[in-house]
Amino acid sequence: MIIFRSFIAGSILALVATAVASQNYEITVWAGGSNDADSYRWEAIEIAADLLEREMAIHGEEINITVQSKGDFGNWGDFKQAVALAAEAGTAPHIVVTSHLDIAPWSEAGHIVPIEDYVDLDAWPLNDIYPNLMEIASFEGVQWGIPQDAESRPFFFWKDTLRGIGYTDAEINELPALVNDGSYTLANVLEDAKKAVEMGLVKEGYGFYPRVSNGPDFAQFYQSFGGELQDPETGNLVLDKAAMQDFYQFFVDAVAAGVTRKNHIGTDWGQWYNEVANGKAALWHGGTWHYARYTGQEGNDDFFGTIAFTLIPAGNDRGQANTITHPLVYLITDQEDDSAEEIAARLVQIASGPRLNSLHAIKSAHLGIAYQQSNVELYANDRWAAEATERLLATANSQPNHLGYGTYAEAMWKGLEASWTGAETPEEAVEQLEEELITKLGDAFIVR
Amino acid sequence: MVPKVNWLSLVFLGPAILAVLLFFLAPVVMTGFFAFTNMSTSTGVSGGDYILGQGEIRELREEGLATSILDQIESAGYQVDDTGLIALAELTNQATADELRSLYEGVRFNNRRDMERALKNLQQNAIRSTRDRKAAAQLFKRSILNERYDTEVAFRTALAENNIPPEDHDTLVQKSYTGWTWTSKNFQLLFTLPSTWRYAINTFIYVGLTLTFSVGFGLFLAVTTFYLPEAQATTIRAIWFLPRILPPVLYVLMWRWFTWDTGFISTVTQWFGMDSKNWMLDTAYHAWVVIVLINGFVGTSMGMIIFASAIRSIPTAMLYAAEVDGANRWQQVRYIILPQLRWPILFITTYQTLSLLTSFEYILLSTDGGPGRSTEVWALAAFHTALNNYGGNLEYGLGAAFALALVLIGILASLLYFKLFNFRNLITKPLIEG
Repeated sequence: MIIFRSFIAGSILALVATAVASQNYEITVWAGGSNDADSYRWEAIEIAADLLEREMAIHGEEINITVQSKGDFGNWGDFKQAVALAAEAGTAPHIVVTSHLDIAPWSEAGHIVPIEDYVDLDAWPLNDIYPNLMEIASFEGVQWGIPQDAESRPFFFWKDTLRGIGYTDAEINELPALVNDGSYTLANVLEDAKKAVEMGLVKEGYGFYPRVSNGPDFAQFYQSFGGELQDPETGNLVLDKAAMQDFYQFFVDAVAAGVTRKNHIGTDWGQWYNEVANGKAALWHGGTWHYARYTGQEGNDDFFGTIAFTLIPAGNDRGQANTITHPLVYLITDQEDDSAEEIAARLVQIASGPRLNSLHAIKSAHLGIAYQQSNVELYANDRWAAEATERLLATANSQPNHLGYGTYAEAMWKGLEASWTGAETPEEAVEQLEEELITKLGDAFIVR
Repeated sequence: MVPKVNWLSLVFLGPAILAVLLFFLAPVVMTGFFAFTNMSTSTGVSGGDYILGQGEIRELREEGLATSILDQIESAGYQVDDTGLIALAELTNQATADELRSLYEGVRFNNRRDMERALKNLQQNAIRSTRDRKAAAQLFKRSILNERYDTEVAFRTALAENNIPPEDHDTLVQKSYTGWTWTSKNFQLLFTLPSTWRYAINTFIYVGLTLTFSVGFGLFLAVTTFYLPEAQATTIRAIWFLPRILPPVLYVLMWRWFTWDTGFISTVTQWFGMDSKNWMLDTAYHAWVVIVLINGFVGTSMGMIIFASAIRSIPTAMLYAAEVDGANRWQQVRYIILPQLRWPILFITTYQTLSLLTSFEYILLSTDGGPGRSTEVWALAAFHTALNNYGGNLEYGLGAAFALALVLIGILASLLYFKLFNFRNLITKPLIEG
C-alpha cells in the first residue's frame, strides 16, 4: 500500500514537474510584401520551431513552440502601418519579415532588438551568410537583423519584339555585355521602344513598361544618371539635382515618345504581370522574383527563350549600369518577455540555414543569402538562381539604412509621379523636392 | 429666476456627452497635442530612451564637440580588467576568470564580437552556452556606445562613470534622446511646402464640385419625384439610395470595373473603334470627374431623402392655391418649394461641407490621390503622411498638423454658413410659445 501511495505521489510530482518544466511559447511571424510563392518566409520558422524543440529537449529543456503567421497584408504601406501601430500598442509580432530600410527608424523607436544580443554570429549558419548582406541588415555597427532573401532588379527585353525591330540572336545575346560596359544606354531603350511601337509590334504605351507603383526600382534610374543616394564619407543623404532631373526627364520623354503611358502609375498589378509575361510589352524592368510569377501563374513556359535580362542601363556618361538589391530581413521585436525574444532569434538563426533558405529562394525565385547554397542541389541546379546570382547580384548595391531615407524616397517618388503625369516639369519637380528635403532633413543633407 | 437643473435629463444625456467627449473632443485635443510634436515612426509615440550610436557621434563631431571625448566614448569598447574578471568569477567560477586573465589580461576589444571570440578561446573552462557567453561578455563592456538607457538619470550616471566632463553631459543627453520633442516646425512646413498648397486647392475643387453636384442633383431628384405617383417615386428614390447603403469598398469596386482599361466603358467604346483607356486615371480631368461622381452620388442620396421629406411637409393647400392662381410647375418650385427648403438646404450644405472636408475613403479606394497627386486632398494627405505610405515613413506629428488645420477650417466654415443662412433667425423660438 505504502509502495502504491508513494508511486502515486511520485507520479503526481513527476507530472507537476514536467508541467512546470515545459514552457509554452507562442511566436507570431508577420511578413510584408509576400504572395503565395513567399510562404517559406514563415514556414521556415515553423520548421525551425520543430528543430529547436528537439535540440532543447536533448538538453533537457522541454519547450513547446506554436508559430502563428500572417502574410496577407494589402501592400507594403498597410503592413508597415500594422507593425508600427502594433509596436506602439505593445502587441508587436515576435518576428517581422520586412525591408532592411525599416531597421533605422524601428531601432531608433525601440520597436526592435538587436539579433546579435541573442545569437552567435560566428556560429553556423550565420557565419556563412554573405558579408555584404549582413552589412545591409545592420545599422550603425549593430547587427539588428538577418537577411531573409536577396534579389535584384533587372531590365527585361521581349526577344521576339527585339527580333522584329532588327536584332539578330547574336546581338540579343550580346545585350547584357553592352549594357554592362555602357554602350547600350537608356537612350537606346527609348529608341528601341519607339521602333517597337511604330512597327506595331506592341501597342502604344507598351514600348517601355515600368513598375506601376513606388519602389526601390526607381532609385536605379537615378543612379543610371550618376546620382548617389548616400555620401560614403559623411553618411549623409545626397540629392544630385542634375541626375534627379535627368531621371525624371527620361520618364517624361518616354511618355512624349508614346512608348510609356502617361497614366501608367496605378495600373493593376495582375494586369501588368500578365502583359509583360506574355510579350505585350517590348522592354520593361522588374525583379528577380518575377521569374516565379511569369513562369508560374502567368504561364510563360519558355522564360529563357522569350525574355532577355540585363542590368538597368546607364543613362549618360555620369552614370553607369546598375541594379539595386533590396533584401528583406528577419527582425526581432521588443517584447516584455525576454525569453520569447531569445526563442524568436534562435528560430531565425535555424531558418537561415542554406537548406531552409533555398526552399524560399527557389520557390519564390529570390536569390540565396549564403555561400553554401551553391552546394545545395535544389539551389545549385536552378538555372535562374545561378544566372541571376552571377550576372546581377555581384554588382548590386543597396539603398542606405538611414533615418531620413523614408522621407527622401517618398519625396523622390512624388516628384517622379508629378513629372510623369505632366502635373509639373522635371525642373519644377526637382526644385520642390529640394525645398521639401532641405526643410525636412535639415543640415545633415547634401545637395549637389 | 435660477434655471433648474434637471438631473434626470443629464443622466439621459450622459451617453451622448460621453460619446462627444470620447469621439470628438478627445481626438481633437490629441490631434492638437500631436501637431506640436515631431512624432514619427522613429521617435515613437510613448516617449524615448537615451542611446548614443555611431550616427550621433558623427553628428557631434561635425557640431564640434571635443574629439578627445568622442574618441573616448567610441574606443572604450570591452576591457578585460579586474572589475570584469571579479564579476566573471561571480557569474561562473574563479577558474574561468583565471583562465581568461591568463589569456587576455589588460586587452581591450573594439566590439562585442571580438570579446565573444575571446571568451570562446577558453579551453579548460569553456562557456558552452551562447546565452551565458553573451552575459559574460557584457561584464567587460566599458563603452556606453549603443547602450540603451531608459531614463535620463541612468544615462547621466553612465556618463559620469565613464569620466565624461559634466559640461558636455547636456549636449550628449540632448543628442542621444530618441523620443519626440515639442516643435512648431510642422506648421512652418504646412505653409512652406509647395505640395500642401496643391492639396489645399485640390480640396477646394473637391468640396466645391461635389457639394454643388450632390445638393443640386439631390434637389432635382426630390422635386421631380415629388410630382410622380407615389409607387414610382419610392422606387426611384430606393434606386438612388443604393450608393449610400452599399459598402464603400464594393461601391468603388463597381466604379473601377466600370472605368478600367478593360472595363465597361472601354468595352463599349471599343465597339466604335476607340482605343481602350482607363477612364478613371487617364488624366487629372478624368480622375476629377470620377471622384466628383463617386462622392456626389453618395451625397445625393442623403440630400434627396431629406429634401423629399421636407417637401412633403409643405402644406398641400399652398400648392393647390398656387395651381388655382395659374402657377406652373416651375413657378411652384421656385416660389413655394425652394424657399421652404432653406433649412434643409442649409443643413445638407453644412453637413456635407464638413463631411467632405474630412472624408477621403472613396478617393483612397478609387484613385488614391492619383494620377500624380492631382486628386490628393487634404484629408487624404493627412492619412498618407501620418499613417500609410509605401516606405512606412509615418510622420504622426506632421499628419496631425494637417488634421488640425482641417479642424480649424471646419469650424470657420460652420461659422460662415451660420452667418450666411442667418442661423439665428432659423432657431428663434416661435413667439406663440414664448
